[in-house]
Amino acid sequence: MDESQLIARVRAGDSAAERALYDAHVDRVYRLAFRLAGDDALAQDFTQETFIRAFDRLGSFRGDAAFSTWLHTITTTVVLNGLRKVKRFRQREADIDDARDIGVAQRHAEPDLKARLKQAIDDLPQGYRTVFLMHDVEGYTHEEIGAALGVETGTSKAQLSRARAKLRVALSDFAGEWVK
Amino acid sequence: MMDQHEDPKFEQWLQDAARTTYHAPHTTPRDEMWNKIAAARRNKHVIELRPWMRWAVAAAAVLILGIGIGRWSANSLSAPSATPAGTRVATEIDSLADLAYQVAATQYLSRTETFLTSFRTDANRSANTARLARQARDLLTTTQLMLDSPAANNPRLRSLLEDLELVLMQISLLNPLQNGRDRDLITEGMNQSNVLPKLRSAIPAGPVPVRTEGAL
Repeated sequence: MDESQLIARVRAGDSAAERALYDAHVDRVYRLAFRLAGDDALAQDFTQETFIRAFDRLGSFRGDAAFSTWLHTITTTVVLNGLRKVKRFRQREADIDDARDIGVAQRHAEPDLKARLKQAIDDLPQGYRTVFLMHDVEGYTHEEIGAALGVETGTSKAQLSRARAKLRVALSDFAGEWVK
Repeated sequence: MMDQHEDPKFEQWLQDAARTTYHAPHTTPRDEMWNKIAAARRNKHVIELRPWMRWAVAAAAVLILGIGIGRWSANSLSAPSATPAGTRVATEIDSLADLAYQVAATQYLSRTETFLTSFRTDANRSANTARLARQARDLLTTTQLMLDSPAANNPRLRSLLEDLELVLMQISLLNPLQNGRDRDLITEGMNQSNVLPKLRSAIPAGPVPVRTEGAL
């Protein structure tokens, strides 16, 4: 059975078809949610919300684009909105903690490459980070990214290029790792 | 022509390093997530906030204020017998009042969802327990007000509010000196009772001003 038939059966209320459609796409949705969120509980929450919304709105899916493209538009919307809310909540806590810690000197050990890479990716502007993770880490094409994020393909390419340039500067101490 | 920023060796190294070390996903918990999706879909549509309702919100808020003033005034006067037209107007006004309660419920649910999502995510981190408990107490007060309001006439919303009341009460009682195990138990309880998926399915996916105004 091809995907359009599967979708038609889901629309007709076939719960087995719902599960089959979920099984066909859940890995990629969960992987993207995990890469963006970096937390299993959040990734699960975002994946669940993505599918709940997708099933609820399947009636509005016209089939002009691939189902996976439509689904990943929902995924990125759910994840990025969810992360914004969590970040805002944590920022409030951090502001209070910072105020409490004023005057307390803090020293951090020199982080290793893995930690520096993580920090460098985390520090990217959200648009750059999203495009970098989708393209270089999860293997999405610029066309898929453009459709999911609602931007032009050229914008996706430009953001990826800028993300890589920023990461190269941030990781310049480790240049020997890729020159060898 | 190669862009000045392009460096194939760096890009290959970066891709390999990021794929293996940056937020490397676990095995997809397919069944676990599917069970929660199915449960949430069974409990969906606790609150239906249709587009036309958004436009009615402002009017409803003004009318409710009017109702309050009117009823207060009426109590101090001897009330004449109600005419059929008066009854109809009262019914319509009550329906708008219910709508306003629904909007308030949506905003409250959105705040609670953000709080509980963060609580669960931070359960094993050094989030400030005293602050979490205080925030839970604030939300608990609102929960109890919601339970006493017409918004709780909807049996599904009432059931959700009762679940939330329990979770928020547990968080509000967290002891800052000894909370590791308590937090785990609360998180475990939340997972078992599917509170977050139910909560999310109760929040309509409307535009931000309706869905999250007043959220954290």
